[in-house]
Formats: sequence, C-alpha cells, structure tokens
Amino acid sequence: MTYYAGVDVGSTYTKAVVVGDDGEIAGRALLKTGFRLAEAASEALESAAAAASLEPGELDYVTTTGYGRFQVSSRQLNVTDLTAAAFGARFLYPQTRTVLDVGGQTMKVSRVDGTGKVVSFRLNDKCAAGTGAFLEKTARYMGFGIEEVGPLASTSRSDVSISGVCAVFAEAEVINHLSQGIAPADIMHGAIASLVSRSVQLMKRAKMEPEHTLIGGILRFETMASLLRESLGGVVNVPSTDDVQHVLALGAALAGRQRHRSVLAGRVHA
Amino acid sequence: MEPRLLDDWQGLDLDGLLRYVREVVEDADYPTVRRWRASGGKVVGHFQVYFPEEIAMAAGLLPVKIHGAPIEPRQGDAHFGSYLCSIVKTSLELALSGRLELDMFVSHPICDTARNLAAVWGRNVGYPCEVLYLPQNANSSHSARYLRGEYERLQRGLEAIAGREVSEADLVRAIGVYNENRELLRRLYAIKRTSPWLLGVDEAYVLVALGGRIFREEHNELLRAVIPMIERREATPQDRMRLVLEGGFCEQPPLDLLTTIAQSSYVVDDDLLVGMRFLTDDVPLEGAALDNLAESYLERSTYTPVQHDLRKPKERMLLDRIRSAGAGAAVLCAAKMCEPGLDEQVPYVKALEEEGIPYFVTEFEESMTSFESLQIQLETFIENVLFAEA
Repeated sequence: MTYYAGVDVGSTYTKAVVVGDDGEIAGRALLKTGFRLAEAASEALESAAAAASLEPGELDYVTTTGYGRFQVSSRQLNVTDLTAAAFGARFLYPQTRTVLDVGGQTMKVSRVDGTGKVVSFRLNDKCAAGTGAFLEKTARYMGFGIEEVGPLASTSRSDVSISGVCAVFAEAEVINHLSQGIAPADIMHGAIASLVSRSVQLMKRAKMEPEHTLIGGILRFETMASLLRESLGGVVNVPSTDDVQHVLALGAALAGRQRHRSVLAGRVHA
Repeated sequence: MEPRLLDDWQGLDLDGLLRYVREVVEDADYPTVRRWRASGGKVVGHFQVYFPEEIAMAAGLLPVKIHGAPIEPRQGDAHFGSYLCSIVKTSLELALSGRLELDMFVSHPICDTARNLAAVWGRNVGYPCEVLYLPQNANSSHSARYLRGEYERLQRGLEAIAGREVSEADLVRAIGVYNENRELLRRLYAIKRTSPWLLGVDEAYVLVALGGRIFREEHNELLRAVIPMIERREATPQDRMRLVLEGGFCEQPPLDLLTTIAQSSYVVDDDLLVGMRFLTDDVPLEGAALDNLAESYLERSTYTPVQHDLRKPKERMLLDRIRSAGAGAAVLCAAKMCEPGLDEQVPYVKALEEEGIPYFVTEFEESMTSFESLQIQLETFIENVLFAEA
C-alpha cells in the first residue's frame, strides 16, 4: 500500500489527512496552528500517521496546502488552497463546479471544470468581515467562544441585521442590539446571515455554477450551511462535520497521489 | 588586482554569504561605490541593457550598472511623466538624491524613454552624460565598423574622466577578466538548469547583480568561492514545475517577487540582468580589442526586446531557451509601461501557443510590495499544468 499525506496549515487550525491508494481516509488530525507553523504541521502529520498506524517515515508522498504550505520542509509538493479544494471537493462530490471555502481568516471561491482544473477564482479582501474571524469577534463581544457560535445561532427566533461591513465596527452594532434587549442568539444569527450574503456575492463574482460544494471550518455551523443552501438553491453539498474542515488536507493528499503516480509512471519528471 | 570593495566575506557560510550579497545589492546607497570614491576612485554609471564594461575597467574606472531601485522617485517623478516606466525615474532619483555619485553617466537609446534619459540626467548633474549608440541594424556589413567607432568615442570619453590613456594591453587584460566572469556566470546558470533546487532564482539574481557594483575581479573571486559551496549544498529536490522567466531585461522585478516565484517553481533560466550576460562566449584575446568587443556584440550575443537582429527572432530564441533548459512552461512578465517588453509579449504568446507550451502573462513594477495575488495566480497556473500532465 502506498500512503499519501496532505497537510493544510491554516491560519487558525492545522489539519492533516493520510489516504491510501483508494483515496479513503486512513488517519486524520486537527490542532491549533499557533505561531510555529512548521511545528504544528509536523505534529499534525505525526498524529495523522499514528491514527493510520504508520510512522511519518512510512508516508510515501507529502503535499502541503494552506497559509503555511511553504513552512513544511518534509513536503514533496505544495499546492494552493484552490487546487486542494478542487481535488477534495470533487473526490467527495464529483459533479462539483463551484467550491466555497470559508476559513478562519479567508474566504475563497473557485470554479472548476469537468476535469478538476481551476478555471477562475475570487478571494475576499484583506478584511475579517468575510471570514470566521468576524463570527469569532461577534461572539466574543457577547461573551461567547467560537465553539458556541453554532449552538447559539441555532436557537435564534428572529433575525436581526448586522451590516458586516467591518468586524471592528460590528462591535458597536452588537452593543447597540444588546442594549436594545435583543437576544444574543438572534444577533449571532444575523452575523452568520451577513457572512452568507458576502459569500454569495463572492460566488457570483466567480460566475458560480452548480453543483456547489461548501467547505471550511465555518461550514460546521449548521446555520451557515442552511442559510447558504437557501440562498444558492439547486444542489449544494456540505461534507459531514467531521470532514468539512479536512477537505483541503484530503485534496492535498489526493493531488499528491495523482502527481506521484504520474512521476512513477514516467509521464512527467519531478 | 583592483581594490576590494566588499567587507570581508571569506569566513561566511553559504547562507551567510547570500544574505550579505543580498544586503549589498538591496542597499540603494551603494556602499561599494562610496568606498571606491572615498579612496579617490572614479565611477561611470551605465543604464540598461548592455554596456562594454571592459573599456571602463581598462581605464581604471568602476563601471556601475544602473537598473533602478526600490525607492520612491520623489525628484525623478518631476522629470518623467506618470505614463512612463518606473526604472528611468528611480535611476535618476539615485543621482538626484545623492545616493549614487558618479563621474560619468552613459545611456542607450533602447526605447523612447531611455533615449531621453542622458539628456535629462545631464541637465541636472555636473558630470558628462553620454549616449552610446549601439547599432540599430545588426545585420549590415558596416555594423561592426560602426560599433567599433562608437566604442572608440566612448573610450575617449572615459579616458578624459580617468585622466589617462587606455592601452591595448589594458583592454586585453580587462577582456580576460570579463571572459572569466562570463564563464563563472554560465556555471551559475548551469546549476539553475541542472540542479535548480540548489539555487533559487532570487539567490542567483543577487549573485549576478553584485557584479554591477564591484570590480569584476572581486566578483570573480567571490563566484569562484561560492559556486562550489552551492554545488555542495544539502537540499532535497522537490516536485516543482520548471519555468523560464522572461521580461527582466531592463526594469527588474522586486527581489521579493522573485522569492515568491521561487517558492512554488524552479526558474531554470531567465533574462534577468541579461546585459551582464549578453555576450555568450569568450571575447577573443588575439587581435584588436575593440574590434573583438564589437564583433562579439554582433556575433556572439543573446537576445533582448531592445536589440533588433533579424538573425535572432526573439520568439524562436525564447523557444530555444525553454527547450535547452528543459522547462515545461514560461512566465512572461513585463514592467508596467515598458513598450518593448509589452510589444514582445505578442510574438512570444503566438509562438508558445503554436508550440503548445503553457505560459503565464503578468506585469510588475519595481516598487510593488504585495505579491499575494500574483503568487496565488501563478501557483494555480502551475498546478493546472502539473495536474493536466497526469
């Protein structure tokens, strides 16, 4: 058996996945990235290998992606989040044509063709308003942690509007709503709705086509997924809560598998 | 040997040496030139692309290659319009701000902007500013004789600055030094082609660029030391696309842009600072030195968008460069507002498409500081090519 590892060194979390020849996940790991990206990547790789009952040295091909993809010296290949997303999303949902990836500090949309090639993409501006950081800040203003965002929003009874123009200015909006006696759950729901609106705008700019596949840590919040489903219509794929944060790592591993096979077959030179 | 202008670098390991060279190259105050002038030496600055430095060295002058700088052209902006390229403004800024003190400046009519540079420069400084007219028609039977005449005129100007005559022996000695330099630079580029994981495009760039700021004997000494260190470097080959980078013949991309490109690909050949590598073979040491220099320019030289030689169609030369370097794709970048560079992209693109060679087109400016967008575009291009091969 040949084993391929994918490591997604994100700005908030580092994820690693080990797959075998069949592409099925044999081991995975997730941990906070922190400030030492190389160490986080190495630790995630070791944990994912251990979960697959392997030593790191037994991994045949390591591919990195994400914000810290260049920090992993043991890698054979690095790919962008866009390519990793295309591989991962199409493995899980072969008819995927548009991928939305909402992470802790970035939002990316890529459109892929029938062969998996990324034909266009759009990234959010350098602004927290379209990312998980916006939700995290909104929750923090109200005394909640990021893990409480999902359960909190799911208890919302009526929506309130959050402009979402700026994560910093949103604080004033949140305080204003709280002072008017609006429930934190409704404010959280409004913040998620604002993020959904930004996501759809970005997808339109990328000339989105169905099927849509939604990935990234923020999609583990059911409210986010359901609001996006309502906005987009048609076929909208959202991986399971276990998988949704690992799609890039999975995609990186699968990209490495394809590349490794091509190199071994002598079709290309490495 | 000419004076050493660098700090003592002999004890440095490879990474330390490359860091030091990068510091020197990035220093817009030209510390090596200051050191030479402080000792009473004289300096001739020459603008892109090609200049026969051998003649300046033979006169005992320090030839300094001027290729812009990552500085704000506060005064330069007042002399050139916003629709013109950045390199002429930042080059002039070096002189007007007092960062780079010269005794003579030489430019070439390589484009509409550059052909006015010497005149604008000359109105604002107190030293001679000349135009060296390299032959527009390289295919005429009179080109070599004409160019020799230009080199003689240049030599007389340089002798006036140096305060002494240049002998034939001076010229032959200088040509010998530059022949060795050319050979060492060829070795450096051979490493990039055969073992690109040993030497990043940014590292090779600073090693080449250093030669434009010190005497070539000292440059040779450093290259003789550093090349074996690079060859012994412990670095693991990675699975990366091999690229040719085309478009750095005049204005230079920011070093951080090159570093960005080097993170995701192997640049196995390029035209960065191509004027320093313009002569592709040794200049003969036998016979009249200026004749040999002129003949080498015409007969043993590479190509740029600002030299027009019907024997060297640039798109064919680019394809040859890609094939001989074993590259799988090309990155065509042109400086913003650079007419020759942008013009040349048209035949380049046509030829690459006809040959089925993937290419990526972009623009740069020496003052740009954000590379994220370009990086992700370039990486996505590379990955589309890599995975389409499977």
